[in-house]
Amino acid sequence: MSESSFEDFVRQHRQEFEAPGPGPRVWANLEQQLNPPRKNRVIQMIGRHWLKAAAILVLLVNSVMIYQFLQMKQSQHLINVAPEMQEAKMYYTSQIEQRLETIKKYPNSVLGLDSVGRKELELRNETYQMLEAELVQNPGNERIKAAMVRYYQMKLDLLDKILEELREKQPVSQKQSNYEREI
Amino acid sequence: MQASANNLNNTSITDHLVSRCKKGDTLAFRELYNAYSAAMYNICLRMTGNPADAEDTLQEAFMQVFKNIERLENAGSVTAWIKRIVVNHCLSHLRRKKVYFEEVDNIDVEEETIVDESDFAWTVAAIKEAIHVLPHGYRTVLNLYIFEEYSHKEIASMLDISESTVKTQYMRAKDKVRQIIKQRKSIR
Repeated sequence: MSESSFEDFVRQHRQEFEAPGPGPRVWANLEQQLNPPRKNRVIQMIGRHWLKAAAILVLLVNSVMIYQFLQMKQSQHLINVAPEMQEAKMYYTSQIEQRLETIKKYPNSVLGLDSVGRKELELRNETYQMLEAELVQNPGNERIKAAMVRYYQMKLDLLDKILEELREKQPVSQKQSNYEREI
Repeated sequence: MQASANNLNNTSITDHLVSRCKKGDTLAFRELYNAYSAAMYNICLRMTGNPADAEDTLQEAFMQVFKNIERLENAGSVTAWIKRIVVNHCLSHLRRKKVYFEEVDNIDVEEETIVDESDFAWTVAAIKEAIHVLPHGYRTVLNLYIFEEYSHKEIASMLDISESTVKTQYMRAKDKVRQIIKQRKSIR
């Protein structure tokens, strides 16, 4: 076989020896190797750092639970449960507090009330707390709302009567009288 | 391959493409693959002898190309660089298949026999068919020399055998091709 026959023939017909290119699976596999799915990377990372991942998960769950608990507590506040009652409460509270302040200025000997009696005069006594708790539990209950308003009015009437009696017994200082006259 | 390589070589397009590949641009990898995959697949097909092995070898080789392209200093030599990686993968594939390229001992380099082939009708199909049935060792040397255009010295270095062994193997391979073609003609 001479060099000129075989080699020359191959060189002259070089392109005819070429087959079509590879199938599409080659690039598909390469592309997959170049860009592995992100999900797999995350799973691999979790696999490698599972203890840290578990700790972070526990902290996250706790945070969510605490947040939800605080939200629930906030939503149970009177202003959220019965906004119209909050307005009434503010009005009566200020009225009652003013009268209580005046009463506190009288000495015990003139006032004639023991510690139990004094406590009963306070705004936030057991009856009040019970009514407020009931209202939070039953926000739409009109009877409880009416009972709370009655409670405020009764307390205000009672304080007014006490103050009237006290003034008859012993007038308060000039400054105090002026203040009371103003209100 | 040469057409693709000529289009790419000596142009700023090659530099730009290689530069993008070095930055990990997947689209650039795709462009590089599109430019060279057909030619490189043909090398793999000739060396491994079957399409499935050729595709697997091509895939492995290109993955190495993508991973190591940042080491390529001269973008102008990208064709030779890719081709060498592909050939090396083919040779690794053959070694895994227990194909050994052994030294031919005590044999002088055979003088080329002058054969009268004036009536020998070469055809592409007949040569392809004959090469396909050659023993792996002969086929590898013949492919590297006649199709991939490496010198005897380069082939000797790749196969870790002497240059004289490469020359002997090549001449025997050519002779075998001619014999196979003659045999098949006489049968038909």
